[in-house]
Amino acid sequence: MTLIAVIVVGLSWVGPNFLASSNITIIASFVAVPMLIAAFSGFALLAGVVDLSIGSMVGLSSAITASLMSAGWPLAGAAAVALVACLFCGAINAAAVVWFGADTIAATLGMLVALRGFDYIIAGPQGSIAAFDVDFYTFTNTALGPLPYPFIIALACIAIAAIIVSRTRGGRHVQAVGGDDRAAGRAGISVTTVRSLALVLSALGAGIGGVLYVGQLGSASNLTGTGLEFQVYAAMMIGGYSILRGGVGNPVGAALGLLVVAGTSNILDVQAISPYFTNIIVGLLLLAAVLLDRLRGGDAFE
Amino acid sequence: MTNVATTTSPVTAGRGEGVPREPPAGWGTAVTVAGAWIVLIVVSGIHRADFLSHQTVLAVTFTMAITGVLAVAQALVGISGGILDLSQPAGLILSAAVAANLLERGWPVGGAVVVAGIVVGALWGFGNALIIVFGKLNPIIVTLGTNFILGAVMFLIWQNAQVPIDSSLAEFGRDYLIGLPSTWWPMVVLVLVVGFLLPRTRYGRHTIAVGGNRFAAQARGISLRKTRFAVFSAAGAIVGFAGILFAASTGPFAPSAGATYQLPVIASVILAGVSLSGGRGSIWLILLSVGFLSTVPTSLVFFGFSSNWQQVFQGSILIIAVAIDGWRARRLQR
Repeated sequence: MTLIAVIVVGLSWVGPNFLASSNITIIASFVAVPMLIAAFSGFALLAGVVDLSIGSMVGLSSAITASLMSAGWPLAGAAAVALVACLFCGAINAAAVVWFGADTIAATLGMLVALRGFDYIIAGPQGSIAAFDVDFYTFTNTALGPLPYPFIIALACIAIAAIIVSRTRGGRHVQAVGGDDRAAGRAGISVTTVRSLALVLSALGAGIGGVLYVGQLGSASNLTGTGLEFQVYAAMMIGGYSILRGGVGNPVGAALGLLVVAGTSNILDVQAISPYFTNIIVGLLLLAAVLLDRLRGGDAFE
Repeated sequence: MTNVATTTSPVTAGRGEGVPREPPAGWGTAVTVAGAWIVLIVVSGIHRADFLSHQTVLAVTFTMAITGVLAVAQALVGISGGILDLSQPAGLILSAAVAANLLERGWPVGGAVVVAGIVVGALWGFGNALIIVFGKLNPIIVTLGTNFILGAVMFLIWQNAQVPIDSSLAEFGRDYLIGLPSTWWPMVVLVLVVGFLLPRTRYGRHTIAVGGNRFAAQARGISLRKTRFAVFSAAGAIVGFAGILFAASTGPFAPSAGATYQLPVIASVILAGVSLSGGRGSIWLILLSVGFLSTVPTSLVFFGFSSNWQQVFQGSILIIAVAIDGWRARRLQR
């Protein structure tokens, strides 16, 4: 519904060029990495644990990949180290949240800040690292029709995630844990295992996203991924997820939510309107989304 | 997430106020935090003897001033069961910018500007409470959103602000009282007064009761809505006061300048034993936890770490603090 509204507004305001193939390519390459990340971190939200640290984790992954590549490592080796680092951070998140029972938002907020510090340290005084791999750059910036390869990969991830969530036993377990962890525990599902795996998966997604950014941009900076967690979660809430309770949401909804946000900011971009207006709109959308979530049956805060 | 869920679930809301096993807001916490602080000071002093200087004391107390005031506001929100107010950075800068603007227009400092800053902050808190209470929405998400929105709105209107250097507010910010920054003293007074009043006045006890068990509080005839409005407005007013201190002691600042306080404030409130699930915590302990956390940056400089490491340490301390908070809450539940 909202997506249709955005398309209509876009068409009427920007004109028919809004749906031109070149503009679709721009939106698709912009939304590819966030969408891929959403496919993974959707599992965390579904299991009832929110991972705010993904923005800095994307930065960490791209900073490690780029710095190793500029030191002469092959892409695969650099990416592998970056992914291992992200998995390690995801494991720390899981330990704090699942084993110690830390408040998820506060704990992963700490991780968000700590990792951003590491991003600055790795990126060094220049603030950015060039890491140009011709094949990788070409691959990530080539389009099949109007759709760039990273966007197609992201779509595939969304599709796989959607199938896992709706058709497999593991997916139903995640939903059960997020919906009511006590009931799930009584039904013999290991709540700690599911939530830990969900947080580690979310970290893995951020890691892959960071590597793809290096390919798209040919470099990494200490600001890569800043604010991404906000953009992704606001979009996912618009798409039907809840960051306050688990058990609701579908990866397809997340993808649509991301397209709505990307479309909105594209409209404002084309109209040369200050990006701060985008921030205001995203903030308002976030508030509207939590209100909607509550009206859909989320816990009321009193 | 688990904590957020248990806060609103009637089954576990009973922990907190009135549970006999509850330790009185904590000597244990006080000893732990004070111990960590002393260890930090001793280790830094052994590493570099010149750490133990008046300069260090000035740097630490200077950092403590604004962080401490914000921590009092954050603690009130936490104790009342409002979880966290993530919109403090925007509120702080809003009040500071209003103060700077009024001073440029030639308002006298004598009270008027200070009052204006506090009122602006209180209105900001009241606005948050409007959304939280009438939307029945989780304060963390609401304040995350409003912080983002107000930050963007301020960027659209102005990019840089500063209190006139020759104004008496700026002079106050540069001044010293008994060898310590003049902005440090109002913080100490605020912590002591709020910490004294909270368990001893009717409003204070209502705040604690609502945070501990809102069902029991309602049964005793305490209005949930009124308390939420009062707490968020009072916390906003304190944030507004912090904005005045910030404007007095900082040079030119951008609308995003408040973000650096967010983490240290949350970490110090949790270290002080304030439970994110409400009903528990001592305001006085903030002096210790803020003191400890404000010593960390200076100490890191003496150990030769770049300022980027500060973020790493602050983030790590927050993770450890909330892990301890969660572990404590779990142990109390058993």
